[in-house]
Amino acid sequence: MYLRSLHLKHFRNYQAQSIEFTAAKTILIGNNAQGKSNLLEAVELLSSLKSHRTSRDRDLILDGELFSQVGGQLEKDTGSIELAMTLRQNGRRTVALNSISLRRQLDFLGTLNMVQFSSLDLDLVRGGPDQRRQWLDALLIQLEPIYAYVLQQYNQVLRQRNALLKAIQKSAAHPPHSSSSELALWDAQLAIAGSRVIRRRARVLDRLVPFARSWHQTISGSTEVLEIRYASNVTADEDTPEALQQAFLEKIQQRSLPEHYQGTTLVGPHRDEVDFTINQTPARQYGSQGQQRTLVLALKLAELKLIEDVIGEPPLLLLDDVLAELDLNRQNQLLDAIQDRFQTLITSTHLGSFDAQWINSAQILEVKAGTLLEQESF
Amino acid sequence: MALVEAKLQVGYCSVCGHLSAEPVCDICRAPNRDSKTICIVADSRDVIALEKTREYRGKYHVLGGLISPIDGIGPEQLSIQQLVRRVSQQKVEEAILAISPSVEGETTTLYVGHLLKPFTRVTRIAFGLPMGGDLEYADEVTLARALEGRRDLE
Repeated sequence: MYLRSLHLKHFRNYQAQSIEFTAAKTILIGNNAQGKSNLLEAVELLSSLKSHRTSRDRDLILDGELFSQVGGQLEKDTGSIELAMTLRQNGRRTVALNSISLRRQLDFLGTLNMVQFSSLDLDLVRGGPDQRRQWLDALLIQLEPIYAYVLQQYNQVLRQRNALLKAIQKSAAHPPHSSSSELALWDAQLAIAGSRVIRRRARVLDRLVPFARSWHQTISGSTEVLEIRYASNVTADEDTPEALQQAFLEKIQQRSLPEHYQGTTLVGPHRDEVDFTINQTPARQYGSQGQQRTLVLALKLAELKLIEDVIGEPPLLLLDDVLAELDLNRQNQLLDAIQDRFQTLITSTHLGSFDAQWINSAQILEVKAGTLLEQESF
Repeated sequence: MALVEAKLQVGYCSVCGHLSAEPVCDICRAPNRDSKTICIVADSRDVIALEKTREYRGKYHVLGGLISPIDGIGPEQLSIQQLVRRVSQQKVEEAILAISPSVEGETTTLYVGHLLKPFTRVTRIAFGLPMGGDLEYADEVTLARALEGRRDLE
Protein backbone atom coordinates (compact mmCIF):
# COMPACT_ATOMS: atom_id res chain seq x y z
CA MET A 1 0.00 0.00 0.00
CA TYR A 2 1.09 3.52 -0.63
CA LEU A 3 0.20 6.68 1.26
CA ARG A 4 0.04 9.28 -1.48
CA SER A 5 -0.66 12.30 0.65
CA LEU A 6 -1.18 13.49 4.19
CA HIS A 7 -3.22 16.52 5.24
CA LEU A 8 -3.00 18.16 8.62
CA LYS A 9 -5.03 20.98 10.07
CA HIS A 10 -4.41 22.42 13.55
CA PHE A 11 -2.53 19.24 14.35
CA ARG A 12 0.19 19.52 17.02
CA ASN A 13 2.40 22.36 15.76
CA TYR A 14 0.98 22.35 12.21
CA GLN A 15 -1.42 25.11 11.25
CA ALA A 16 -2.33 23.66 7.85
CA GLN A 17 -0.06 21.37 5.88
CA SER A 18 -0.43 19.04 2.95
CA ILE A 19 2.30 16.62 1.99
CA GLU A 20 2.59 14.64 -1.23
CA PHE A 21 4.77 11.59 -0.91
CA THR A 22 6.59 11.24 -4.21
CA ALA A 23 9.07 8.45 -3.53
CA ALA A 24 9.15 5.09 -1.80
CA LYS A 25 11.37 6.66 0.84
CA THR A 26 10.71 10.01 2.43
CA ILE A 27 13.28 11.47 4.80
CA LEU A 28 12.08 14.17 7.17
CA ILE A 29 15.01 16.16 8.32
CA GLY A 30 15.15 18.90 10.94
CA ASN A 31 16.20 19.92 14.41
CA ASN A 32 14.51 18.63 17.51
CA ALA A 33 11.00 19.85 18.34
CA GLN A 34 10.24 21.07 14.80
CA GLY A 35 7.45 18.56 14.13
CA LYS A 36 9.08 15.54 12.46
CA SER A 37 7.65 12.96 14.82
CA ASN A 38 4.29 14.73 14.74
CA LEU A 39 4.00 13.75 11.09
CA LEU A 40 4.63 10.10 11.87
CA GLU A 41 2.21 10.38 14.77
CA ALA A 42 -0.48 11.52 12.32
CA VAL A 43 0.13 8.40 10.21
CA GLU A 44 0.04 6.26 13.36
CA LEU A 45 -3.35 7.75 14.24
CA LEU A 46 -4.74 6.97 10.80
CA SER A 47 -3.52 3.42 11.18
CA SER A 48 -4.31 2.56 14.79
CA LEU A 49 -6.51 5.42 16.07
CA LYS A 50 -3.92 5.69 18.81
CA SER A 51 -0.80 7.64 19.51
CA HIS A 52 1.97 6.09 21.53
CA ARG A 53 2.76 9.56 22.86
CA THR A 54 -0.58 10.58 24.34
CA SER A 55 -4.02 9.25 25.10
CA ARG A 56 -5.69 12.67 25.22
CA ASP A 57 -7.02 14.15 22.02
CA ARG A 58 -6.54 17.67 23.27
CA ASP A 59 -2.77 17.18 23.30
CA LEU A 60 -2.99 16.65 19.54
CA ILE A 61 -4.74 19.94 18.81
CA LEU A 62 -2.79 23.12 18.04
CA ASP A 63 -2.90 25.51 21.00
CA GLY A 64 -5.90 27.82 20.92
CA GLU A 65 -7.85 25.76 18.37
CA LEU A 66 -11.03 23.78 19.00
CA PHE A 67 -10.47 20.92 16.61
CA SER A 68 -7.88 19.23 14.50
CA GLN A 69 -8.09 17.26 11.27
CA VAL A 70 -5.89 14.52 9.92
CA GLY A 71 -6.47 13.04 6.51
CA GLY A 72 -4.70 11.02 3.87
CA GLN A 73 -5.05 9.40 0.48
CA LEU A 74 -4.11 5.74 0.52
CA GLU A 75 -3.57 3.58 -2.57
CA LYS A 76 -4.25 -0.10 -2.06
CA ASP A 77 -4.49 -3.04 -4.43
CA THR A 78 -8.24 -2.86 -4.00
CA GLY A 79 -8.43 0.83 -4.86
CA SER A 80 -7.92 4.29 -3.48
CA ILE A 81 -9.17 5.17 -0.01
CA GLU A 82 -9.53 8.58 1.56
CA LEU A 83 -8.98 8.50 5.32
CA ALA A 84 -10.18 11.34 7.53
CA MET A 85 -10.28 11.98 11.23
CA THR A 86 -11.48 14.94 13.28
CA LEU A 87 -10.28 15.43 16.83
CA ARG A 88 -12.05 17.83 19.15
CA GLN A 89 -11.04 19.85 22.19
CA ASN A 90 -14.36 18.87 23.72
CA GLY A 91 -16.19 15.82 22.58
CA ARG A 92 -15.68 12.66 20.64
CA ARG A 93 -13.53 12.22 17.60
CA THR A 94 -15.09 11.22 14.32
CA VAL A 95 -13.62 9.14 11.52
CA ALA A 96 -14.57 8.74 7.88
CA LEU A 97 -13.56 6.50 4.98
CA ASN A 98 -14.11 7.92 1.49
CA SER A 99 -16.13 10.76 3.04
CA ILE A 100 -18.54 8.32 4.68
CA SER A 101 -18.53 8.89 8.38
CA LEU A 102 -18.28 5.66 10.41
CA ARG A 103 -20.58 4.97 13.30
CA ARG A 104 -18.08 2.60 14.85
CA GLN A 105 -14.43 3.59 15.12
CA LEU A 106 -13.43 -0.08 15.06
CA ASP A 107 -14.34 -0.19 11.36
CA PHE A 108 -11.58 2.31 10.66
CA LEU A 109 -8.89 -0.03 11.96
CA GLY A 110 -7.00 -2.26 9.59
CA THR A 111 -7.26 0.12 6.62
CA LEU A 112 -3.77 1.60 6.78
CA ASN A 113 -1.19 -0.92 7.93
CA MET A 114 2.21 0.05 9.22
CA VAL A 115 5.14 -1.02 11.29
CA GLN A 116 6.56 1.52 13.63
CA PHE A 117 10.15 1.49 14.71
CA SER A 118 11.24 4.25 17.04
CA SER A 119 14.17 4.66 19.36
CA LEU A 120 11.81 3.63 22.18
CA ASP A 121 11.50 0.18 20.61
CA LEU A 122 15.18 -0.43 21.19
CA ASP A 123 14.17 -1.13 24.79
CA LEU A 124 11.62 -3.75 23.80
CA VAL A 125 13.78 -6.63 25.00
CA ARG A 126 15.17 -4.97 28.12
CA GLY A 127 12.17 -2.91 29.18
CA GLY A 128 9.17 -3.87 31.28
CA PRO A 129 6.64 -6.54 30.30
CA ASP A 130 3.96 -3.90 29.67
CA GLN A 131 6.01 -2.62 26.72
CA ARG A 132 6.06 -6.09 25.17
CA ARG A 133 2.33 -6.57 25.74
CA GLN A 134 1.61 -3.22 24.09
CA TRP A 135 3.79 -4.14 21.13
CA LEU A 136 2.00 -7.45 20.71
CA ASP A 137 -1.46 -5.89 21.10
CA ALA A 138 -0.71 -3.21 18.49
CA LEU A 139 0.40 -5.88 16.02
CA LEU A 140 -2.68 -7.99 16.71
CA ILE A 141 -5.07 -5.10 16.16
CA GLN A 142 -3.58 -4.60 12.69
CA LEU A 143 -3.92 -8.26 11.77
CA GLU A 144 -7.24 -8.92 13.45
CA PRO A 145 -9.05 -5.59 14.01
CA ILE A 146 -11.69 -7.34 16.11
CA TYR A 147 -8.98 -7.88 18.69
CA ALA A 148 -9.36 -4.19 19.59
CA TYR A 149 -12.85 -5.10 20.76
CA VAL A 150 -11.71 -8.29 22.52
CA LEU A 151 -9.05 -6.36 24.43
CA GLN A 152 -11.40 -3.52 25.30
CA GLN A 153 -13.90 -6.02 26.71
CA TYR A 154 -11.20 -7.64 28.82
CA ASN A 155 -10.01 -4.29 30.17
CA GLN A 156 -13.55 -3.32 31.07
CA VAL A 157 -14.15 -6.59 32.94
CA LEU A 158 -10.82 -6.06 34.69
CA ARG A 159 -11.76 -2.53 35.78
CA GLN A 160 -15.14 -3.72 37.07
CA ARG A 161 -13.64 -6.66 38.91
CA ASN A 162 -10.97 -4.47 40.51
CA ALA A 163 -13.65 -2.01 41.64
CA LEU A 164 -15.57 -4.87 43.22
CA LEU A 165 -12.46 -6.27 44.95
CA LYS A 166 -11.76 -2.80 46.36
CA ALA A 167 -15.36 -2.49 47.56
CA ILE A 168 -15.22 -5.91 49.24
CA GLN A 169 -11.95 -4.97 50.88
CA LYS A 170 -13.49 -1.78 52.28
CA SER A 171 -16.57 -3.49 53.61
CA ALA A 172 -14.54 -6.30 55.18
CA ALA A 173 -15.47 -5.10 58.65
CA HIS A 174 -19.15 -5.59 57.92
CA PRO A 175 -20.78 -8.99 57.75
CA PRO A 176 -20.31 -10.60 54.33
CA HIS A 177 -23.18 -10.09 51.91
CA SER A 178 -23.88 -11.32 48.44
CA SER A 179 -20.47 -10.14 47.24
CA SER A 180 -18.95 -13.60 46.90
CA SER A 181 -21.54 -14.70 44.34
CA GLU A 182 -21.15 -11.35 42.63
CA LEU A 183 -17.40 -11.85 42.49
CA ALA A 184 -17.85 -15.33 41.02
CA LEU A 185 -19.79 -13.69 38.23
CA TRP A 186 -16.91 -11.37 37.38
CA ASP A 187 -14.49 -14.30 37.70
CA ALA A 188 -16.41 -16.06 34.96
CA GLN A 189 -16.40 -12.95 32.75
CA LEU A 190 -12.70 -12.43 33.36
CA ALA A 191 -11.95 -16.03 32.42
CA ILE A 192 -13.96 -15.81 29.19
CA ALA A 193 -12.57 -12.45 28.05
CA GLY A 194 -9.06 -13.21 29.33
CA SER A 195 -8.85 -16.56 27.54
CA ARG A 196 -9.66 -14.85 24.25
CA VAL A 197 -6.83 -12.36 24.77
CA ILE A 198 -4.34 -15.07 25.75
CA ARG A 199 -5.16 -17.35 22.83
CA ARG A 200 -4.97 -14.61 20.24
CA ARG A 201 -1.69 -13.29 21.61
CA ALA A 202 -0.12 -16.75 21.71
CA ARG A 203 -1.34 -17.48 18.19
CA VAL A 204 0.10 -14.30 16.65
CA LEU A 205 3.48 -14.95 18.27
CA ASP A 206 3.55 -18.46 16.84
CA ARG A 207 3.07 -16.96 13.39
CA LEU A 208 5.73 -14.32 13.94
CA VAL A 209 8.43 -16.65 15.25
CA PRO A 210 9.59 -18.27 11.96
CA PHE A 211 10.09 -14.85 10.34
CA ALA A 212 11.84 -13.41 13.39
CA ARG A 213 14.10 -16.44 13.66
CA SER A 214 15.24 -16.29 10.06
CA TRP A 215 15.84 -12.53 10.21
CA HIS A 216 17.74 -12.91 13.42
CA GLN A 217 20.08 -15.42 11.85
CA THR A 218 20.57 -13.27 8.76
CA ILE A 219 21.37 -10.10 10.70
CA SER A 220 23.54 -11.64 13.37
CA GLY A 221 25.22 -13.92 10.85
CA SER A 222 25.08 -16.72 13.34
CA THR A 223 23.30 -19.99 13.90
CA GLU A 224 21.96 -19.06 17.30
CA VAL A 225 18.40 -20.16 17.79
CA LEU A 226 15.85 -17.54 18.76
CA GLU A 227 12.75 -18.63 20.64
CA ILE A 228 9.77 -16.41 21.39
CA ARG A 229 7.13 -17.65 23.75
CA TYR A 230 4.00 -16.12 25.13
CA ALA A 231 4.43 -16.71 28.84
CA SER A 232 0.98 -16.50 30.32
CA ASN A 233 0.27 -16.78 34.03
CA VAL A 234 -2.62 -19.02 33.00
CA THR A 235 -1.81 -22.18 31.09
CA ALA A 236 -3.81 -25.24 30.14
CA ASP A 237 -2.67 -28.66 28.95
CA GLU A 238 -5.19 -28.67 26.18
CA ASP A 239 -5.42 -25.90 23.60
CA THR A 240 -9.15 -25.22 23.71
CA PRO A 241 -11.04 -22.15 24.95
CA GLU A 242 -12.88 -24.31 27.51
CA ALA A 243 -9.71 -25.82 28.97
CA LEU A 244 -8.10 -22.41 29.26
CA GLN A 245 -11.17 -20.88 30.91
CA GLN A 246 -11.20 -23.75 33.39
CA ALA A 247 -7.51 -23.26 34.18
CA PHE A 248 -8.16 -19.54 34.51
CA LEU A 249 -10.88 -20.09 37.12
CA GLU A 250 -8.71 -22.52 39.05
CA LYS A 251 -5.89 -20.02 39.12
CA ILE A 252 -8.25 -17.31 40.41
CA GLN A 253 -9.26 -19.71 43.19
CA GLN A 254 -5.62 -20.28 44.11
CA ARG A 255 -4.89 -16.59 44.28
CA SER A 256 -8.11 -15.51 45.99
CA LEU A 257 -6.49 -14.74 49.31
CA PRO A 258 -3.70 -12.46 48.02
CA GLU A 259 -6.26 -10.86 45.70
CA HIS A 260 -8.46 -10.14 48.66
CA TYR A 261 -5.64 -8.49 50.58
CA GLN A 262 -4.30 -6.50 47.66
CA GLY A 263 -7.76 -5.58 46.38
CA THR A 264 -6.74 -6.05 42.78
CA THR A 265 -6.84 -8.75 40.09
CA LEU A 266 -3.65 -10.81 40.09
CA VAL A 267 -4.53 -13.39 37.44
CA GLY A 268 -4.89 -12.69 33.74
CA PRO A 269 -3.26 -11.49 30.54
CA HIS A 270 -2.69 -8.01 31.99
CA ARG A 271 0.20 -9.62 33.86
CA ASP A 272 1.54 -11.81 31.08
CA GLU A 273 5.00 -11.71 29.58
CA VAL A 274 6.68 -12.35 26.26
CA ASP A 275 9.87 -14.37 26.65
CA PHE A 276 12.71 -14.01 24.19
CA THR A 277 15.42 -16.61 24.48
CA ILE A 278 18.54 -17.09 22.42
CA ASN A 279 20.14 -20.51 22.67
CA GLN A 280 17.99 -21.14 25.71
CA THR A 281 19.28 -18.07 27.55
CA PRO A 282 16.86 -15.21 28.30
CA ALA A 283 17.71 -12.47 25.79
CA ARG A 284 17.52 -9.68 28.31
CA GLN A 285 20.41 -11.20 30.23
CA TYR A 286 22.12 -12.74 27.28
CA GLY A 287 23.18 -10.03 24.99
CA SER A 288 25.04 -6.79 24.81
CA GLN A 289 22.99 -3.78 23.89
CA GLY A 290 24.02 -4.34 20.28
CA GLN A 291 22.77 -7.91 20.30
CA GLN A 292 19.49 -6.82 21.81
CA ARG A 293 19.16 -4.27 19.00
CA THR A 294 19.72 -7.01 16.47
CA LEU A 295 16.84 -8.86 18.04
CA VAL A 296 14.56 -5.81 17.95
CA LEU A 297 15.43 -5.21 14.31
CA ALA A 298 14.67 -8.86 13.53
CA LEU A 299 11.29 -8.49 15.26
CA LYS A 300 10.43 -5.37 13.29
CA LEU A 301 11.35 -7.01 9.98
CA ALA A 302 9.31 -10.04 10.99
CA GLU A 303 6.34 -7.74 11.67
CA LEU A 304 6.66 -6.25 8.18
CA LYS A 305 6.68 -9.71 6.61
CA LEU A 306 3.84 -11.08 8.72
CA ILE A 307 1.59 -8.10 8.00
CA GLU A 308 2.44 -8.35 4.30
CA ASP A 309 1.56 -12.06 4.34
CA VAL A 310 -1.74 -11.62 6.14
CA ILE A 311 -2.92 -8.40 4.47
CA GLY A 312 -1.62 -9.34 1.04
CA GLU A 313 0.29 -6.13 0.41
CA PRO A 314 3.28 -4.43 2.00
CA PRO A 315 2.57 -2.15 4.98
CA LEU A 316 4.22 1.23 5.57
CA LEU A 317 7.34 1.46 7.66
CA LEU A 318 7.83 4.41 10.01
CA LEU A 319 11.37 4.89 11.27
CA ASP A 320 11.31 7.51 13.99
CA ASP A 321 14.74 8.71 15.00
CA VAL A 322 16.05 5.18 14.99
CA LEU A 323 18.20 4.84 11.90
CA ALA A 324 21.05 6.87 13.35
CA GLU A 325 21.04 4.52 16.32
CA LEU A 326 21.76 1.49 14.19
CA ASP A 327 25.28 0.80 13.00
CA LEU A 328 26.03 0.69 9.28
CA ASN A 329 25.76 -3.08 9.08
CA ARG A 330 22.27 -3.11 10.58
CA GLN A 331 21.23 -0.09 8.51
CA ASN A 332 22.21 -1.97 5.39
CA GLN A 333 20.41 -5.12 6.47
CA LEU A 334 17.28 -3.04 6.95
CA LEU A 335 17.72 -1.35 3.59
CA ASP A 336 18.18 -4.70 1.83
CA ALA A 337 15.05 -6.01 3.45
CA ILE A 338 12.77 -3.14 2.53
CA GLN A 339 14.26 -2.11 -0.83
CA ASP A 340 11.55 -0.14 -2.59
CA ARG A 341 8.78 -2.54 -1.68
CA PHE A 342 7.78 -0.90 1.58
CA GLN A 343 6.96 2.79 1.63
CA THR A 344 9.17 4.19 4.36
CA LEU A 345 8.97 7.45 6.29
CA ILE A 346 12.15 8.33 8.12
CA THR A 347 12.89 11.09 10.60
CA SER A 348 16.37 12.24 11.47
CA THR A 349 18.16 15.31 12.72
CA HIS A 350 20.82 15.16 10.02
CA LEU A 351 21.52 13.31 6.81
CA GLY A 352 25.11 12.52 7.69
CA SER A 353 24.18 9.75 10.08
CA PHE A 354 23.23 7.21 7.49
CA ASP A 355 24.54 5.57 4.43
CA ALA A 356 24.32 7.32 1.08
CA GLN A 357 22.25 4.42 -0.25
CA TRP A 358 19.34 5.58 1.87
CA ILE A 359 19.44 9.05 0.40
CA ASN A 360 19.54 7.90 -3.22
CA SER A 361 16.17 8.36 -4.84
CA ALA A 362 14.60 9.45 -1.55
CA GLN A 363 12.31 12.41 -1.19
CA ILE A 364 13.82 14.79 1.33
CA LEU A 365 11.69 17.23 3.29
CA GLU A 366 13.00 19.76 5.75
CA VAL A 367 10.80 20.28 8.78
CA LYS A 368 11.04 23.66 10.46
CA ALA A 369 8.61 24.93 13.11
CA GLY A 370 5.59 23.21 11.68
CA THR A 371 6.26 23.84 8.00
CA LEU A 372 7.80 21.68 5.30
CA LEU A 373 10.31 22.57 2.62
CA GLU A 374 11.05 20.25 -0.27
CA GLN A 375 14.77 19.76 -0.82
CA GLU A 376 16.53 18.82 -4.02
CA SER A 377 17.23 15.12 -4.24
CA PHE A 378 20.82 14.09 -4.09
CA MET B 1 -44.26 24.24 34.77
CA ALA B 2 -45.22 21.22 32.73
CA LEU B 3 -41.89 19.61 33.54
CA VAL B 4 -42.30 20.17 37.26
CA GLU B 5 -45.76 18.69 37.06
CA ALA B 6 -44.49 15.69 35.14
CA LYS B 7 -41.79 15.13 37.72
CA LEU B 8 -44.33 15.28 40.53
CA GLN B 9 -46.79 12.94 38.87
CA VAL B 10 -44.57 10.31 37.36
CA GLY B 11 -43.25 7.62 39.62
CA TYR B 12 -42.44 3.95 39.23
CA CYS B 13 -44.82 1.04 38.86
CA SER B 14 -44.81 -0.97 42.07
CA VAL B 15 -44.95 -4.24 40.12
CA CYS B 16 -42.51 -3.91 37.23
CA GLY B 17 -40.60 -0.70 37.94
CA HIS B 18 -41.56 1.01 34.67
CA LEU B 19 -42.31 4.74 34.67
CA SER B 20 -45.94 5.31 35.59
CA ALA B 21 -48.30 8.01 36.81
CA GLU B 22 -50.36 5.39 38.66
CA PRO B 23 -49.13 3.05 41.41
CA VAL B 24 -49.39 0.19 38.91
CA CYS B 25 -48.56 0.93 35.25
CA ASP B 26 -50.79 0.51 32.19
CA ILE B 27 -48.93 -2.56 30.99
CA CYS B 28 -49.15 -4.41 34.31
CA ARG B 29 -52.88 -3.58 34.57
CA ALA B 30 -53.75 -4.57 31.00
CA PRO B 31 -55.96 -7.69 31.26
CA ASN B 32 -55.30 -8.79 27.69
CA ARG B 33 -51.54 -9.06 28.13
CA ASP B 34 -49.90 -12.38 28.80
CA SER B 35 -48.68 -12.42 32.39
CA LYS B 36 -46.95 -15.77 31.92
CA THR B 37 -44.13 -14.08 30.02
CA ILE B 38 -41.87 -11.45 31.55
CA CYS B 39 -39.34 -9.49 29.57
CA ILE B 40 -36.48 -8.18 31.68
CA VAL B 41 -34.85 -4.90 30.66
CA ALA B 42 -32.36 -2.50 32.21
CA ASP B 43 -34.25 0.73 31.74
CA SER B 44 -37.69 2.20 31.05
CA ARG B 45 -36.43 3.41 27.67
CA ASP B 46 -36.00 -0.23 26.67
CA VAL B 47 -39.68 -0.89 27.46
CA ILE B 48 -40.66 2.01 25.22
CA ALA B 49 -38.42 0.68 22.41
CA LEU B 50 -39.88 -2.82 22.68
CA GLU B 51 -43.43 -1.51 22.89
CA LYS B 52 -42.95 0.37 19.64
CA THR B 53 -42.58 -2.96 17.84
CA ARG B 54 -46.11 -3.96 18.98
CA GLU B 55 -44.88 -7.55 18.71
CA TYR B 56 -44.54 -8.35 22.38
CA ARG B 57 -47.68 -9.08 24.35
CA GLY B 58 -46.24 -10.12 27.69
CA LYS B 59 -45.26 -8.14 30.78
CA TYR B 60 -42.02 -6.40 31.70
CA HIS B 61 -39.61 -6.03 34.54
CA VAL B 62 -37.35 -2.98 34.70
CA LEU B 63 -34.15 -3.59 36.68
CA GLY B 64 -33.27 0.09 36.95
CA GLY B 65 -29.71 -0.27 35.70
CA LEU B 66 -26.92 -2.79 35.24
CA ILE B 67 -24.46 -4.34 37.66
CA SER B 68 -21.42 -2.05 37.63
CA PRO B 69 -19.04 -2.05 40.62
CA ILE B 70 -17.25 1.01 39.18
CA ASP B 71 -20.45 3.00 39.67
CA GLY B 72 -21.15 1.32 43.00
CA ILE B 73 -24.08 -0.63 41.55
CA GLY B 74 -24.39 -4.18 42.83
CA PRO B 75 -27.35 -6.58 42.61
CA GLU B 76 -28.86 -5.00 45.75
CA GLN B 77 -29.19 -1.65 44.00
CA LEU B 78 -31.33 -3.20 41.26
CA SER B 79 -34.85 -4.58 41.55
CA ILE B 80 -33.61 -8.17 41.27
CA GLN B 81 -35.17 -9.44 44.52
CA GLN B 82 -38.58 -8.16 43.43
CA LEU B 83 -38.09 -9.93 40.12
CA VAL B 84 -37.21 -13.27 41.72
CA ARG B 85 -40.22 -12.95 44.00
CA ARG B 86 -42.46 -12.18 41.03
CA VAL B 87 -41.21 -15.12 39.01
CA SER B 88 -41.25 -17.60 41.89
CA GLN B 89 -44.71 -16.66 43.16
CA GLN B 90 -46.57 -16.21 39.89
CA LYS B 91 -46.97 -18.78 37.17
CA VAL B 92 -44.34 -17.39 34.85
CA GLU B 93 -43.55 -19.70 31.94
CA GLU B 94 -40.79 -17.72 30.33
CA ALA B 95 -38.42 -14.98 31.40
CA ILE B 96 -36.83 -13.19 28.43
CA LEU B 97 -33.64 -11.28 29.12
CA ALA B 98 -33.42 -8.27 26.78
CA ILE B 99 -30.25 -6.57 27.96
CA SER B 100 -27.60 -5.03 25.73
CA PRO B 101 -24.47 -7.13 25.19
CA SER B 102 -21.98 -4.82 26.95
CA VAL B 103 -19.67 -6.19 29.65
CA GLU B 104 -22.06 -4.93 32.34
CA GLY B 105 -25.13 -6.14 30.45
CA GLU B 106 -23.62 -9.58 29.96
CA THR B 107 -22.79 -9.87 33.67
CA THR B 108 -26.28 -8.75 34.68
CA THR B 109 -27.81 -11.24 32.23
CA LEU B 110 -25.77 -14.10 33.68
CA TYR B 111 -26.56 -13.11 37.25
CA VAL B 112 -30.30 -12.71 36.77
CA GLY B 113 -30.53 -15.78 34.53
CA HIS B 114 -28.85 -17.89 37.17
CA LEU B 115 -31.32 -16.77 39.85
CA LEU B 116 -34.39 -17.33 37.70
CA LYS B 117 -33.50 -20.71 36.25
CA PRO B 118 -34.85 -22.77 39.20
CA PHE B 119 -38.30 -21.26 38.64
CA THR B 120 -38.87 -20.91 34.93
CA ARG B 121 -37.58 -21.19 31.40
CA VAL B 122 -35.02 -18.42 30.82
CA THR B 123 -34.22 -17.10 27.34
CA ARG B 124 -32.27 -14.17 26.00
CA ILE B 125 -32.81 -12.13 22.87
CA ALA B 126 -30.55 -12.78 19.89
CA PHE B 127 -27.94 -10.33 18.65
CA GLY B 128 -27.12 -10.29 15.02
CA LEU B 129 -27.49 -8.67 11.67
CA PRO B 130 -29.88 -5.77 11.19
CA MET B 131 -32.72 -6.29 8.72
CA GLY B 132 -31.94 -4.97 5.27
CA GLY B 133 -28.27 -5.17 6.11
CA ASP B 134 -26.00 -7.01 3.75
CA LEU B 135 -23.63 -9.52 5.24
CA GLU B 136 -20.67 -7.89 3.54
CA TYR B 137 -21.41 -4.53 5.17
CA ALA B 138 -21.82 -5.86 8.70
CA ASP B 139 -19.08 -4.96 11.12
CA GLU B 140 -16.92 -7.69 12.59
CA VAL B 141 -18.25 -7.50 16.13
CA THR B 142 -21.83 -7.94 14.96
CA LEU B 143 -20.83 -10.76 12.64
CA ALA B 144 -18.94 -12.53 15.41
CA ARG B 145 -21.97 -12.18 17.69
CA ALA B 146 -24.28 -13.44 14.99
CA LEU B 147 -22.02 -16.47 14.48
CA GLU B 148 -22.00 -17.15 18.21
CA GLY B 149 -25.80 -17.10 18.31
CA ARG B 150 -26.31 -19.28 15.21
CA ARG B 151 -28.99 -21.96 15.30
CA ASP B 152 -30.11 -25.04 13.42
CA LEU B 153 -32.05 -24.50 10.25
CA GLU B 154 -35.61 -25.59 10.80
